[in-house]
Amino acid sequence: MNRNPTTRFCALGALVLLIAGLAPAQTADAALSGTVTNPSGAAATNTRVSVKNLASGQTMETQTDASGRYAFTNLPPGDYEVTASPEGAVPKTAKVTLVAGAKQTLNLSVSGNFANPGELSLGDLGFTPQQTTGSAQEQARLNKRSHMLKIHQRLGLITTAPFIATLVVANGAKGPHGAAPGSNASGRELHAALGSVTAGLYITTASFAIFAPKIAGTQTRGPIRLHKALAWIHGPGMILTPVLGALAYQQRSNGEKVHGIAQAHGPVAIVTAAAYGLAILSVSIKF
Amino acid sequence: MKTKLALMLFTVPALFAAESQWMLDQSTLAYHISHPLHQVDGVSHAARGKGVCNAGECDFLVAVPVKTFNSGDSNRDLHMLQVARGGEFPMVTVRFRLPENAASQTTIHADLEVQFAGQTVTYKQVPFELTIQGNQARVAGTIPAKMSDFKIEPPSLLGIATKNDIPVRVETTWRRM
Repeated sequence: MNRNPTTRFCALGALVLLIAGLAPAQTADAALSGTVTNPSGAAATNTRVSVKNLASGQTMETQTDASGRYAFTNLPPGDYEVTASPEGAVPKTAKVTLVAGAKQTLNLSVSGNFANPGELSLGDLGFTPQQTTGSAQEQARLNKRSHMLKIHQRLGLITTAPFIATLVVANGAKGPHGAAPGSNASGRELHAALGSVTAGLYITTASFAIFAPKIAGTQTRGPIRLHKALAWIHGPGMILTPVLGALAYQQRSNGEKVHGIAQAHGPVAIVTAAAYGLAILSVSIKF
Repeated sequence: MKTKLALMLFTVPALFAAESQWMLDQSTLAYHISHPLHQVDGVSHAARGKGVCNAGECDFLVAVPVKTFNSGDSNRDLHMLQVARGGEFPMVTVRFRLPENAASQTTIHADLEVQFAGQTVTYKQVPFELTIQGNQARVAGTIPAKMSDFKIEPPSLLGIATKNDIPVRVETTWRRM
């Protein structure tokens, strides 16, 4: 029975490996439990819950009990994906990191329809998960859109005050050469100042509408179409009016009669104001 | 005796296995919102529904995507979608159970379990008019919903909030399969 050293070394190695394989795992396993509820807070009974080890890909499944509770034991520590899949509703997934020896809790709230076994589900009606899946991001987009449009609405109403005031004092800005009784340099200053405030508020108002999140798949219908169409009139008008006003201001300050393109300042302002007023009226029936 | 036994063997399982279904053919669902300055009706024809009858009881499920309601103003509809948390909870579902013999009545009263805006609310004994024509049944009624039932803050127009009531008129035509 003389064996060479190589054979003895291999046999010893195999023995070590065998013992190592037979030895119990030294890692302390973790436990995960929690409750699955529907949006109203009621327990989601008989709901399938699975845990997937993200490193090994190994998956385990269980079902919630009458209280909506689930539990997994003997899970190796690591990162896991936990999914609650109620019948006929949208699965809810969350990630959790399990620490060795720890008993961790993860509660899940599932949106969408909940059906007990045997009950009709949204799937039975032909709705796809894409149609029935709620999205927190989509809701956040809707919330942001509404918030920005509310500010747009309020600022738009506030802008009417300096806008009207600018129009009211316009007569006093026509200059010292008899174009309007009582017109003078201070009248022009006041008109220009109010016009600047109006333009500043207008741009701020417009930006809240322009940069409000767009909701995909929405067709514009109803009074908002007129509101948007009128923006193509008062928008350019609100840019052109101050430019023409600056030209007219300069000409008047030089003692000249307003001439050339600057003569359009008044008419452009009136058209802009009319379109702006109509735009407000067009949506005044909305909430 | 053998004949009786044979009859029992064949008829009893047949009775328990008896299952009929109803499918929603057409529907008009319309919510109504009231404001001192304005009245709004949002209408959807996109509901789908099914009823399964077994052992003398019929279980129905009707569902409609929130975003399919059209009030004639896309801006208002998006605002309604937002206040009703339609991004997070895109479906309205209604479940109810009726005895199979309810088809013989002209008015039925149903307990409706409505899931909307992340809330589940039960409306007891809601009356519906029932008209049967051949294998079709027309069911019409109004669900006396309130915004507060679903924790929806009433939207406002010019600083004035709408009324809390949001009755939903339901007109459906079902077909027995």
